[in-house]
Amino acid sequence: MSDTAIIIPMYNEETTIRGVILEIKERYPEFEIIVIDDGSEDNSYKEAEVKGVWLLKHLINLGQGAAIQTGIEFARRKNIKYIVTFDADGQHSADDIKEFVTLLKSGYDIVLGSRFLGEAKNISIVKKYFLKLSRVFTFFSTGIWLTDSHNGFRAINIGDFPDFNLTENRMAHASEIIDLMKKLKMRYIEKGCVIKYTDYSQRKGQSMLNAVGIIIEYIIGRLTR
Amino acid sequence: MIFIKGLLLVLLTLGFLIFAFSLKLKNFQRIVVIVGYITLFIFISDPILSDRVANLFGIEFGSSLITYLTIGVLSLVNVILFVDTKVNKDAITKIIREGAIRDARRV
Repeated sequence: MSDTAIIIPMYNEETTIRGVILEIKERYPEFEIIVIDDGSEDNSYKEAEVKGVWLLKHLINLGQGAAIQTGIEFARRKNIKYIVTFDADGQHSADDIKEFVTLLKSGYDIVLGSRFLGEAKNISIVKKYFLKLSRVFTFFSTGIWLTDSHNGFRAINIGDFPDFNLTENRMAHASEIIDLMKKLKMRYIEKGCVIKYTDYSQRKGQSMLNAVGIIIEYIIGRLTR
Repeated sequence: MIFIKGLLLVLLTLGFLIFAFSLKLKNFQRIVVIVGYITLFIFISDPILSDRVANLFGIEFGSSLITYLTIGVLSLVNVILFVDTKVNKDAITKIIREGAIRDARRV
């Protein structure tokens, strides 16, 4: 079994998931692919049945953070050391995976994707500036200045960090990752990546109103962790 | 005024009965509920007495004392509910996760 896995959390992604898996599988046949169906109500689980893929299913929808943590725990039990988290909605580019894994294996403990160091195709002005503003929030809450603090594309060395575990079930896990990075003294680097915003991904993505909820969720989570 | 007082006492008694008999309370909690019920019953029945008790704490009106106590109690109940919810949420997450890992399959 490979020491590297691509973890794909998915929730109601029947239109995109097969294409995402096939692209990764074609480009990186040497990597394991772990898909976690987070209680989808559509045909996502069936669509994700691509030969060679590990398929896990949450009986109910817990949230992206919980799905990623399920992937991490599963990967650990399979002695997988490196993981890459990859969105199921087709926003991320499989081309970027190779460089992320190379950086990870060269000695970094976590590689964070940054759309602002790379390319954010068709990003709306509002989203762009909101994401830039969220960097300030991340800086004040963690003391770490990042160019893009809420990018779902990351590569993480979970093998050497058994305490790297997410407790935030929903979207606040993105901020929790930065907290863990600091707490576990992980060597990190940001790497440019391409994010392709399509009508579909914009519809599926987080609204600005949700972002307020995520901040509250993160603050409560941090106080009670 | 008498009608409102009567209504409050009925509501209070109903609340007490629900608390005392429909929930599985520990002895300590049962005592707190009974003491709370008796205190509120007396305070509603005799507002002048409640004013006197409030004066002992430097508060002018008994109703103000009840308001302050209610805010405190409700905040405490909120915290207890939040902790309970979090414990349950964590347990559900663990069960769902273990099930997902147990039933994982390679296509």
